[in-house]
Amino acid sequence: MATRAGRVVYPLYQLGGPQLRIFRPNFYMLAVRPGVPQPEDTVQFRVSMEMTKIDIKNYLEKIYNVPVAAVRTRIQYGANNKRNHKNQRVKKPDYKVAYVQLGQGQTFQFPNLFPEKEQDEETRSFEDYKDKYLAREKQREKGDPRRGGVPDWFGL
Amino acid sequence: MAASRGWRVLWHGRCWFSQTQSTVSAEPSDSLYPPIVASATAQSKAAKRRRLEHFHQRVHAAASIEEKLRLYRKLQRPKYMVYPQTLALNADRWYRSFTKTVFVPGLPTNVALAAGEAQASIASEPAKALEGAAEVAPGDTKASQPGTAAPEAARTPEPAVGAEPYLDMGELRSLVCDALLQENFYQKKKRPFLYRDQEHTPGPFLTQLVSTLAAYLSNCNPLLAASSFDLNPEVNYYWHHGEEVVVHGHRKGRVDPVRFQIDDHPHLQIRVPKQLPEIVQLESDLGDVPVIDHKPSKLPLFKKQYENKVFIGSKVADPCCYGHTQFHLFPDKLKRERFIKLRLEDQIEVVYRANGIASLFAWTAAQAMYQGFWNEADVTRPFVSQAVVTDGKYFAFFCYQLNTLALTVETIKNNPRKNICWGTDSKPLYDVVEDGHVKGFNDEVLLMLVRFLLNRPKEL
Repeated sequence: MATRAGRVVYPLYQLGGPQLRIFRPNFYMLAVRPGVPQPEDTVQFRVSMEMTKIDIKNYLEKIYNVPVAAVRTRIQYGANNKRNHKNQRVKKPDYKVAYVQLGQGQTFQFPNLFPEKEQDEETRSFEDYKDKYLAREKQREKGDPRRGGVPDWFGL
Repeated sequence: MAASRGWRVLWHGRCWFSQTQSTVSAEPSDSLYPPIVASATAQSKAAKRRRLEHFHQRVHAAASIEEKLRLYRKLQRPKYMVYPQTLALNADRWYRSFTKTVFVPGLPTNVALAAGEAQASIASEPAKALEGAAEVAPGDTKASQPGTAAPEAARTPEPAVGAEPYLDMGELRSLVCDALLQENFYQKKKRPFLYRDQEHTPGPFLTQLVSTLAAYLSNCNPLLAASSFDLNPEVNYYWHHGEEVVVHGHRKGRVDPVRFQIDDHPHLQIRVPKQLPEIVQLESDLGDVPVIDHKPSKLPLFKKQYENKVFIGSKVADPCCYGHTQFHLFPDKLKRERFIKLRLEDQIEVVYRANGIASLFAWTAAQAMYQGFWNEADVTRPFVSQAVVTDGKYFAFFCYQLNTLALTVETIKNNPRKNICWGTDSKPLYDVVEDGHVKGFNDEVLLMLVRFLLNRPKEL
């Protein structure tokens, strides 16, 4: 492993020699929830712009042991319409989307990452009490409804 | 769009106040006032329905079939291009849902019974001929030897058969081996072009095989004698199935039918003047049609706008307007080795099935349109066709019965009929051709091919 001070010197690698270094790709793949419904065997990823379909297939098969039947990619253009306070256009970055069809009949459903928590009786009643208290405070701030929104310092 | 604007102008130009037949006729005929119907030009659902009704009546009242087809194909919009020979995974399931087809593995018994006399006549000698040909074929280069050796052995059971035309298995086998050896061994060919192997050797072999077999069997089957043989024809069909909401463009938000178009180029095609007999009844239910919730573009399938074509291989006036058999050859992209290398062995059979279902649906449906049926006027008799899908060595056989053309949203609601496709797995015809002999010849495949070619209506 490379140290901060100096670099370790590895012997030159020739075919058949000992493999002393492991090369891992510097790519990252992000599995995302599809915007439109996809078939059951299709997984949607955001990948680096430099990755190719063959790269994606090898990445998933060799590192994660996921059987890949087919990969299709497209590049999503990020819009350049928003303006900042100096009226300069601000671009949203482009990214590549990969649709991976799994092999061997496997299916994938993107999980629900924010499920509804099961609340017990105490927490529920406390939540209700808190909501009611906040509603009462808001009502008090508004003032007497009969005055029609006029502040209370206004008058004789 | 010019097409719809032109149609609108036509609508306004026509005097439709008194002449058009209205759908809602609640008024009695002696009323002073015209019948109360929905507007024809408003942007309402009732108006859209009325325009559709008017279009249907125009097609129903068309004078000739060419006029009907012209009106049916007139409006051009972006449509999905369905390719029968495709690399997409599990394409046969998607194609079955687009065409409302049930797939039944194995061939129907009718096809076996239609050539039952041929089966009976050759039943006694297959064992003998197999041994005889197996010994003779590897030994000799000339195919005339098996041809002469087998008929002597085969002629003995002939008196038992009776008046049925006799089929000589040895002769047929020799014809096939002739064609194979001619293309693979005798003819000196240069190296095939890159990714064009299939049109170098298996293509000409298939053409030669089918033409010689058809010519040989035409004395048994008079339908073949009156048939028309197409080389590399074009078969097209255009249909609507399902509904979707338009996503982009000036028509965004409108509900449109989903349009499909098949443009197929079979390698060979046999068209006949008489319809093949039906295999099962029109209303039979042999299975389920898969339901696909997603948009067809997820297959992947792509949209394009171009001419809507409905064509069987010849124009409407041709007397050979019914289909008999199609022969499809796979391109290099769909080779078996490629699937095995990518570890997608289960997709090999899927490719054959998808090709069979899509091509046969397009052909039978186009034949039905040539007889004047369309999705509002559903077929009254089933249309039957056959297909052989091959990549030069492996053969798969398919039979298709078209029971319904009504696949649009309104017509599919109360339609219990389904189209049915029977098909086999792919089997090799031979193992290898080397040094002038054909090794491992498979008689079953030849028998099924012969059965297919001998299929004919019962009255002939």
